[in-house]
Amino acid sequence: MASTTPTEPATSIERTEPIEPPTGPASPTEPPTEPTERSGVLRRISCPGIAAITIMACAAAGTLLGIATYRPDAPTAAPAPSSPARADRGDTPALAGAGPAGPAAVGPGAAGGATPGPRTPAGNPTRIRVPRIGLDAVLVTLGLDRAGRLAPPADFTLAGWYGGGPAPGDTGPAVIAGHLDSRDGPAVFARVPQLRPGDRIEVQRGLGRLTFRVTATGRYAKNRFPTDAVYGPTPGPELRLVTCGGGFDRREHRYRDNVVVFAVADPPPGPGA
Amino acid sequence: MTFPAPRFSGTRRFHGTQVRGALVTIILLATGGTAAAIPGGAAAAPAGAASTGYVRLAHLSPDTPPVDVYLSGPGDGTTPRVFDAVGYGVLSDYLPLPTGRYAVAMRKAGAPASQPPVLTTEVAVTSGAAYTVAGVGRYADLGLRVLDDDLSAPAPGQAKVRVLHASVRAPLLDVAATDGPTIATGVRFATGTAYSQIAPGRWRLRLGATGTAPTSVDVTLSPGTVYSLVVLDAERGGLTTELRTDARGGSVVPSGGVETGGGGLASGGRSGPPYALVVLAAGAILAVSAAAGVVLLRRRARRG
Repeated sequence: MASTTPTEPATSIERTEPIEPPTGPASPTEPPTEPTERSGVLRRISCPGIAAITIMACAAAGTLLGIATYRPDAPTAAPAPSSPARADRGDTPALAGAGPAGPAAVGPGAAGGATPGPRTPAGNPTRIRVPRIGLDAVLVTLGLDRAGRLAPPADFTLAGWYGGGPAPGDTGPAVIAGHLDSRDGPAVFARVPQLRPGDRIEVQRGLGRLTFRVTATGRYAKNRFPTDAVYGPTPGPELRLVTCGGGFDRREHRYRDNVVVFAVADPPPGPGA
Repeated sequence: MTFPAPRFSGTRRFHGTQVRGALVTIILLATGGTAAAIPGGAAAAPAGAASTGYVRLAHLSPDTPPVDVYLSGPGDGTTPRVFDAVGYGVLSDYLPLPTGRYAVAMRKAGAPASQPPVLTTEVAVTSGAAYTVAGVGRYADLGLRVLDDDLSAPAPGQAKVRVLHASVRAPLLDVAATDGPTIATGVRFATGTAYSQIAPGRWRLRLGATGTAPTSVDVTLSPGTVYSLVVLDAERGGLTTELRTDARGGSVVPSGGVETGGGGLASGGRSGPPYALVVLAAGAILAVSAAAGVVLLRRRARRG
């Protein structure tokens, strides 16, 4: 029952992506409003001492509040290594083309052989759903940063498909990454670490919906990321979900681990193919 | 979408809170701070490898009629998967299977499952590994062989090809790309070679064999992809080939992990000044000032 969401063009969504919730620093003008009002009242009862104390106290409290509520959102991306080159969009089609190119590289003279039964819908994936954990998110296309690492989605509410790799439903491991949390609380993939073998993952692609079945999950230190298992060639259509996990390094402002969910196309290619 | 994990919005309540409410606010904030310290969904899954391997079945015996192939999983209770009437030259798709030992049985096509199989073998599926279980050789000495398929990624920007030799017409086979690398030499009938790396793109592969005229085949290879070139007896004599895509990956593989967290679910994940402490201090100052104000006002009132 995917009726609620007609296929939204990924491009229009991507454009909205860089908008960060504009939670700027608590305006310094806010606290003074109280003191001035109050000081007026106090002046009426002509008590300069009270006024002075109160103003000073409120100013101090206001300053502290300002510090407390100040969310350094501007540098949000700074600790993330992706920020220098947020290659989230635009630059990927060339890469993406390499993935699905030549779906059947069958040599001439070959006798047809086994070909996948159901046709895989064309186009980029647009949405991911995992009903069991209440996940339903729009997909953007991800690229690499200057260091060659996968650049996560800029928006904490969106998940992203790595456009330089296979698309979901094509042969190979399609990789979808999403944030575990923002600075304020849960993000799009907050519950992905709860996935277990057997859970179903749905990906909307074009007019079709593809289903994957979780086969395994794992948590890995980022400096020992299982690149081969995640990005290595696979015989059929597979899916990887990647988010963060483990301890949070406050100095570097990053999680130490990645959580990876491995999934295969469901149903897999049947016997007698 | 809603998450059960606590949202830390306690500080926002503080705005507009009057002096008298400072103590209440402090309590609220303290509660909020505690809530923030509870990791919401941050509990990660226990580590577990990709506990899936891959098995495919192949009929590579030229003079053996079609067969039914049975694949039985670990534990006797499971019903075997049956590949019906697999004929010469057919490779099935890979089946992703949980790791464990599997029994493979071959019967003549159409034979009842109760009939004793012609051939049986076992394949031990390990995590992430791939196997081709192939009926190989001539009918007279037909055997089931388990080939290890190395589906690991080729070097960056490269492709991988190996040869599965299933033609009795070429006892020894050489495969080389025209103006390119040699893929395999002296391949014996009923064997498979190791994978060799080759640059992606269009190639004309030349198959040279003792006793047969050389054959050429044009192939297009994609980067990051793993192929098997199956060499078969052609129906009208000579050799024919089928290039199978064993596995496919991305052409550009990202390095390392992904930064997918802001720390909002981690205890003390916030950078900057210690949050709860600062808020508490602010509240305390306000409370003290309020108290002082009240005291002074009362004194003044008494004097007046």
